[in-house]
Amino acid sequence: MNRRDFFGRFALGLGGAALFGLLNEKGFAAPSVGAHPFTGSLAAPHFAPKAKRIIYLFMSGGPSQMDLFDYKPLLNKLNGQDLPDSVRQGQRLTGMSGNQASLPLAGSIFNFAQHGQSGAWFSELMPWTAKMADELCFVKSLQTEAINHDPAITFFQTGSQLPGRPSMGAWLSYGLGSANQNLPAFVVLLSKDRIDQPLYARLWGNGFLPSLHQGVQFRSGKDPVLYLANPDGISQAGRRKMLDRLAELHALQFQSLGDAEITSRVAQYEMAYRMQTSVPEVMDISKEPESVFELYGPEAKNPGSFAANCILARRLAERNVRFIQLYHPGWDHHGGLPAGIRRQSKDVDQPSYALIMDLKQRGLLEDTLVVWGGEFGRTAYSQGKLTATDYGRDHHPRCFTAWMAGGGVKPGITFGTTDDYGYSVVQNPVPVHDLQATLLHLLGIDHEKLTFKSQGRYFRLTDVEGQVVRGILA
Amino acid sequence: MSSRPVRSPWGLPLLLAGLCARSVLGAAAADHVNFSRDILPILSDNCYHCHGPDEEARKAKLRFDTKGGAFRLKDGKAVIVPGHADRSELIRRITATDPDEVMPPPKSNRKLTAKQITLLKSWVTEGATWSQHWAFVPPKRPELPRTANKRWARNGIDVFILARLEREKLKPSRETGRERLIRRVTLDLTGLPPTPAEIDAFLADKSAQAYETLVDRLLASPRYGERMATDWLDVARYADTHGYQMDRYRPMWPWRDWVIKAFNQNLPFDQFVTWQLAGDLLPNPTKEQRLATAFNRLHLQNEEGGVVEEEYRVAYVVDRVDTMGTAFMGLTLECCRCHDHKFDPITQRDFYSMSAFFQNIDESGQTDYFNGAMPVPTLLLSDDATDAKLAELRRAISEKEQQLPTLRAQARAPFEEWLATNTNGLGSAGLIGSFALGNMVSNKVANAADPGKPANAHEEPKPVPGRTGPCAELDGENGFTFPGLGHFTRADPFSLSLWLQTPVHTPRSVVVHHSKAPIDAGSRGYELLLENGRVAVGLHHTWPANSLKVVTREPLPTNEWIQVAMTYAGSSRAAGVRIYVNGALAAVDVIRDGLVKDITYEGGEPDLAIGFRFRDNGFKGGRVDDFRIFNRELTAVEAAQLAGLPPGPREGLFDYYIATVFPPALKLAEELHQLRGEANKLVNPIPEAMVMQEMPQARPAYILKRGAYDARGEMVSADTPGALPPFPADQPRNRLGLARWLLSPDYPLTARVTVNRAWQMMFGRGLVETSDNFGRQGTFPTHPELLDWLARDFVENGWDTKRLLKLMALSATYRQSSQASPELVARDPGNELLARGPARRLTAEMLRDQALAVSGLLVEKLGGPSVKPYQPAGLWEEKAMGAPKYDQGHGDDLHRRSLYTFWKRTVPPPAMITFDAGERNICTVRRQITSTPLQALVLLNDTQIIEASRQVSERMLKEGGTTPGQRVAWVFRLLTSRRPTTKEIRVLEQLFSEQRELFATDQASAAQLLAVGEKKPDPALNPADVAAGTVLAEAIFNHDDAVMRR
Repeated sequence: MNRRDFFGRFALGLGGAALFGLLNEKGFAAPSVGAHPFTGSLAAPHFAPKAKRIIYLFMSGGPSQMDLFDYKPLLNKLNGQDLPDSVRQGQRLTGMSGNQASLPLAGSIFNFAQHGQSGAWFSELMPWTAKMADELCFVKSLQTEAINHDPAITFFQTGSQLPGRPSMGAWLSYGLGSANQNLPAFVVLLSKDRIDQPLYARLWGNGFLPSLHQGVQFRSGKDPVLYLANPDGISQAGRRKMLDRLAELHALQFQSLGDAEITSRVAQYEMAYRMQTSVPEVMDISKEPESVFELYGPEAKNPGSFAANCILARRLAERNVRFIQLYHPGWDHHGGLPAGIRRQSKDVDQPSYALIMDLKQRGLLEDTLVVWGGEFGRTAYSQGKLTATDYGRDHHPRCFTAWMAGGGVKPGITFGTTDDYGYSVVQNPVPVHDLQATLLHLLGIDHEKLTFKSQGRYFRLTDVEGQVVRGILA
Repeated sequence: MSSRPVRSPWGLPLLLAGLCARSVLGAAAADHVNFSRDILPILSDNCYHCHGPDEEARKAKLRFDTKGGAFRLKDGKAVIVPGHADRSELIRRITATDPDEVMPPPKSNRKLTAKQITLLKSWVTEGATWSQHWAFVPPKRPELPRTANKRWARNGIDVFILARLEREKLKPSRETGRERLIRRVTLDLTGLPPTPAEIDAFLADKSAQAYETLVDRLLASPRYGERMATDWLDVARYADTHGYQMDRYRPMWPWRDWVIKAFNQNLPFDQFVTWQLAGDLLPNPTKEQRLATAFNRLHLQNEEGGVVEEEYRVAYVVDRVDTMGTAFMGLTLECCRCHDHKFDPITQRDFYSMSAFFQNIDESGQTDYFNGAMPVPTLLLSDDATDAKLAELRRAISEKEQQLPTLRAQARAPFEEWLATNTNGLGSAGLIGSFALGNMVSNKVANAADPGKPANAHEEPKPVPGRTGPCAELDGENGFTFPGLGHFTRADPFSLSLWLQTPVHTPRSVVVHHSKAPIDAGSRGYELLLENGRVAVGLHHTWPANSLKVVTREPLPTNEWIQVAMTYAGSSRAAGVRIYVNGALAAVDVIRDGLVKDITYEGGEPDLAIGFRFRDNGFKGGRVDDFRIFNRELTAVEAAQLAGLPPGPREGLFDYYIATVFPPALKLAEELHQLRGEANKLVNPIPEAMVMQEMPQARPAYILKRGAYDARGEMVSADTPGALPPFPADQPRNRLGLARWLLSPDYPLTARVTVNRAWQMMFGRGLVETSDNFGRQGTFPTHPELLDWLARDFVENGWDTKRLLKLMALSATYRQSSQASPELVARDPGNELLARGPARRLTAEMLRDQALAVSGLLVEKLGGPSVKPYQPAGLWEEKAMGAPKYDQGHGDDLHRRSLYTFWKRTVPPPAMITFDAGERNICTVRRQITSTPLQALVLLNDTQIIEASRQVSERMLKEGGTTPGQRVAWVFRLLTSRRPTTKEIRVLEQLFSEQRELFATDQASAAQLLAVGEKKPDPALNPADVAAGTVLAEAIFNHDDAVMRR
């Protein structure tokens, strides 16, 4: 065993070795770096987890449930008629369509059919997803409190409409820690070129939790994590030498001051150094076999596409990253919905299918929970002009659809039902806090017990709400 | 550093503050139980959720937050029997083993520790003394305690610290070395490290006052104001963008510059607070005093299309209350938005009574998307020269306006002459558009006044039989546009006239308008609406505060043809608008009269339109006909004629004569028009700042049930919480009175909260660690008497911030070495007892500013617009909708102090966030201090650090001596403020020579490294030397002594 191997086993570079020699000399207790993998703020999960990680495919902008999964033939029958007051019941609308002279019901122009043993409905826009109907657990009765993007997406990610709270992934990182020595617990991937509503760094922020629980955005390109790449002209060998000398200096500093902060800093530098290898390694999909690219579809080799990000999600899942959050924006179809949703569906349909199949083949689906959905749904009526071939739909918070697959949820079921107008939930409503409680539950966490005291109050992801949706648990 | 090891999620130990404190607080062995320190926190944390101030949540009607509640007798059972733990129901229940009996109940997720149970028992046994929560009792100046050691203390602070140390049988640490001391105090007070020359001067100054001289110099430096402002920007949640959705630029930096100035001038803190809370309400407020009130407006502002305006207006008011609570009261008022406070004696009613102080401004919950106008109300940030020009123009305008009566007198005779000879009746002077709207031919309507400018029919209005011929019937989404017509400024007189018929009264129907949108464009433009059948005419720069609007008192009848005309004098005043209904002047109510900027759009005027508007209620079911546009203010007699009335009385004709014929009056009108146009042009480009501007009539305030904007409960009036000292009887019930209440001598919180934050700044943690919460869930002060002594001292000395900081900086406590033995670390890991000096990581701003300063790159310029230094490419673009791009600055803009870095809320500067800078979304008084691998990556790879390292390297080669040993030592000292040891020099030399070797054999890499950053490298120097020196400097930037202030 050479020196590098020896120190590598302790997840430390050469400088770290020098340091620890000195630690022992001085009689200070050596910090047990790398000896006990971190288990998060929870000594143990509250109960046996069904899933070890989550891949959240966030469809930012609000996909139209009644053009994809929530089949509403009545809307085709009543196409063009005004939304009855008896259905709307005075509920608020956004300022975008709230002042419209009429609210004409708009039937989907897409054909629907039932698929699989479960007989789940899919529109023609999701042919690949339809093929895995029996893997999916549909929730058609999601409800949110917010009616506009910013508060709604903030609410979905943090449990509060107002900015400032930690995001779901940050909570998981805080509670469970990382299962990987070389990668953060919470990784974020954004699709490129699809922005029709802005995203905000706070959506993966740590809020009042320690900043190390922040989601780390992995980007395609030279610098997959901000500041990861050495500056031009600095080789990895040169960097290694420099870090070794720096560690020696820190060893001297520790010898002189005895502050554990110093050893901690050395360890952080070693971690950073390892990330310089581990992150590019996970981001490099070029060595994936051709069959994988075929599975994920024509965009799979296009960095920053949803398809490429799905491959990365699988690679991160393989490396035990706890929370993998993909954002695919572009679903905000106030007008020109048929064309817009066609493009969006093409972006996500095959890659989503591929991801589930890929995870399944690798035995990862059983302990990986995959969630697909947006921050709200869309209205049964047309925003703007309804024509034979075109319509738009405004934001609709009162019911929308998400699907899940994998770790801990019942496959091949549909939970919750909406009325024939697709306007309200008639059975088994699932407020956002309930979904959040359920996700935590699947990872073995009692959402009421994962708390953080800030300004004297114990905060949790689900605020003061949230009930686990038992009906979807496997 | 107030930190203790915690494990990182990536398997590494970390240090961070504020988690699971192993506190040394609490009863020392011989002490008696102290209710406020030992018992109240246990009760609050474990019991108040169900047995506290919140009546709605209270179980069994039992409360422990008041003495009466805790000592009550019910069903023969006493909750607490003083002196008898065994007979106290409280003790029985907390020690019960039956899950149905034990308190707190298992399902509450709360559990008392054995130590807490023992404390509660001892407290009852010792007699269960009860007192108020310490922070609600006004501070009294305590006597200085006695200490055995009479030599150590330098001022009052030290006496309190020492007394506690002696009780704990600890000794203070020795004074730290002078190099560490000057680094510590220079960073703390100015945010920048000392230069080697400053260190040398301090080392050489052997006088007894050397240190005091240093502190005085630092406090007098303009850098002090920048340093203090940096923390205040966190408190004020200052940012350069609005925060929600589009997150647009808001140039509020003039307020930031005022803060820097206020600190540098040492504006007494009570005035600093008063100006910010209520500067506009001071007698004859100055511009600065009004600008200071921007403090209340720096919250996020939402411009997302379609939001419910009231929802966000309420959110803004709530944020103001929360911010005041955290910043000045140290209380979590925000908890009371939805319910009574769970722990502190603050009710939901208190919250909304407080909010009543903060909502009396004429604002909109949704801000202007189309124009990006500064949310109103605003202050015009004009300079003195512009002010003088404006005053001159106003004087000239008013003079012209006053000439009119004289002219009218002169016009009598010529009028009689004209009347005798004029037989043509009224002309149609100023008519620029005239449309018979029912006559649509291939979607066009002819313009009888100007054939070149016909109207367009939009979305097929329906021709139906009308009053005389065909008219147009509208469906709310269709109507007409009039390209090229009616692009009036607020200085232009104009008039509109049409016949209309409305089927019903609706809250709002858009009839005629020249605007892009209502709320999404701040209603900019002019409009004629029907509001519940009343004719409403508005001219808007930004609704509501920069607008004028009048509404007729009487509604129009429905289903009847009515002729409506509006005339405008070009005066920017509500009195300049007249509305005629069927030819008769209508009585109006003035809704707004505050138009001070133009009603036009920069870059692209919309078309004048009838019947519909973007995201608005069109004129659904309405009929319209005979629309006319005039580029002058019609007189009454003309309006009557348009309505088909017979010619009016002679006086009406006289007005007509003045307005259209009498040459001196025409000349006067033209001059007036000119002057108003000039004034308009002068005012329009003046930048604005959001400020507070009290409305003449307070908005009604309500309790909002569950905190929901649309669930209004009982009405409340402006008031302060009942549990705190009463609102002073002699003060006005507005923000000014509120500020004076906060600053009154008996008020227990403001001074304590403020000195505690200063302590936190100097020592790394507050005497009350939870500097953001002085309530019952907050931590008990480590040194309560010292806190009170400092608070009283601060107030008695005129709220003098510099004096306060100087007192702390000069204390022996502050000057101690931060080095600690393992025993002391084990005994007091968080350094609560202060037996050693403070050691803290540099803040995000300090780390970058230090690199700029030592490299010589720093551009010191106070204030100005925020700048955009280096940041990784593409960050804004990948998240925002295309624009705006991050337009990185160049030259000086790259190297300004970090408090001037552009702060975009949705994509904050990544390096700053990595080093725990707050997100600036809400008021923050305490930052976390963490240590993460991502921080290492920033300090190793950030362009700014590399560029600074290269500059340091060049300086080293020129100024740092000649031998490698001298040079590395020179750099080390430059960056860490101390000289390296011999061993360290040896490692540094090795580092340099290793890198030198690498670059000597790889010149290309050296060249690449030297090209990082925009500052050009010095071509005279050997590239391999510079490159190796760059890596050396970079390593030292990452050294503990550069990252920390110890």
